[in-house]
Amino acid sequence: MERSKQDQFESYNARTHLLGRICSVVTLVLLVGAPFLIGTYLGGMPEMPAVLKGFLAVGIVWTVSSIVEFLVYTPMLGAGGGYLAFITGNLINMKIPCAMNAREIAGTSSGTPENEIISTLSIAASSLVTIVVLAAGVLLLVPLQPLLQSPVLQPAFENVVPALFGAMSYMYYRKNLKLALFPLVFMSVLFILVPSLISQTSIMIIPAGALTIALAYMIWKKHGTILSKDIGR
Amino acid sequence: MIQVLNSLPMYIICGLIILFVAAVCIIFMIRAYRAGKSIGMDEKVLKRAVTSSVTFSILPSVGILLGVIALSGSLGTPWPWLRLSVIGALHYETQVAQGAAEQVGLSSLSAAQMTPSAFTTIALLMSICIMWGMILSVLFNKAYLKRLGSGKKKDGTGAGEAADTVKDKKKQSFGDAAMIAMFIGLVSAYIGSYIGGFVSGKGRFTFRGDLTPIIVAAVAAAVMAVFTYLSEKKHMVWLESFSIAGSMLIGMLAAILFG
Repeated sequence: MERSKQDQFESYNARTHLLGRICSVVTLVLLVGAPFLIGTYLGGMPEMPAVLKGFLAVGIVWTVSSIVEFLVYTPMLGAGGGYLAFITGNLINMKIPCAMNAREIAGTSSGTPENEIISTLSIAASSLVTIVVLAAGVLLLVPLQPLLQSPVLQPAFENVVPALFGAMSYMYYRKNLKLALFPLVFMSVLFILVPSLISQTSIMIIPAGALTIALAYMIWKKHGTILSKDIGR
Repeated sequence: MIQVLNSLPMYIICGLIILFVAAVCIIFMIRAYRAGKSIGMDEKVLKRAVTSSVTFSILPSVGILLGVIALSGSLGTPWPWLRLSVIGALHYETQVAQGAAEQVGLSSLSAAQMTPSAFTTIALLMSICIMWGMILSVLFNKAYLKRLGSGKKKDGTGAGEAADTVKDKKKQSFGDAAMIAMFIGLVSAYIGSYIGGFVSGKGRFTFRGDLTPIIVAAVAAAVMAVFTYLSEKKHMVWLESFSIAGSMLIGMLAAILFG
């Protein structure tokens, strides 16, 4: 690349960082502010002790996974794509494969200015599609609201969480059966013996996660992997 | 309560934030396009990057929309709409919302038990738990990319984060294993709680508790298995975008049929 073009790209990059930071901070303020604004409208503010307890229970897991996501995906996404992707989310299920796909089509390689451009374009386009599809969908949902609120459907909505964990259990268990068996049995027995813990499941994630990670470490140390098929169970 | 959660002001608050994010995307897109042209990239390549990303994203976005529907029964439509448009991911939102519901004393995430302060507490927790990727980007994206760009030994610059990176590099494979293990633990805790709830929920070892969550989880897992089989063995890769949301919705349907 010629000198002047490189300079030009560098100043583009510097502005990307500035703009990315400003936009991220504004989005943060809006997101954290929204529940309070909604609170004044609904007439009920967030309960801080519950927020704190909830954060300690469920937030820690997601904080760790956010750090890992940041470290792993930032090099793939570059500056512009990185800021946008972390603002708009849905990384694993959409943004990452989308950017990889665009990169392959454009034939650019990591760390080059071309790649920075392609990945920003890709993430921006992908985010806009999601926003448009969701907005259109939500608009269509409005007339369906009475149907969605009908009593017949309520059992379905009350079981959204078990549905999620059922789907996820297959996703995670199938490749790591050996590892999954013990925590599943242990937690079931624990909840059977101490049913009062059931209402605090979100806190019980911490011992369950710690136990499984410890087990995983033992398996990993011995076999170098935790995938059942590679261990040969 | 659900009527209020679906009222116009809620749509306006959430819609405006989404509009802001859409504007940010457009700005980044235009800037990148112009910069690409100015460093001499072929406009055809730039356009293809956009069109391929647009077509790639349509199906997953519909999958995400199903997520909005799944959550709309308990949190109303506008808030899940915002959450899944900005940083959200269905599995994340559902878990955090559930965890938050437990902390405010709801026995499950449902519209029937929702109160204004329970809702705002859940909403705030949903926002807080997922913002770390953004915060890390604000603080470290520039330094991190710069160091990767130099491609040399990473010594110094940004103490805490540097240590994390070094550790991450060394133990990459165990890092992956630990992440998977953490999720296995998390899933096991919840599945275990459904089993415990059925066996001892109405008195220890009485087997008179609620069986519905177990059925729903089992159906969702079975549907997920079918989706996985179809996408991996029958090469219907497009199905992947729907697998989680689709399995959830069919599992939820089972609650109506068996509940």
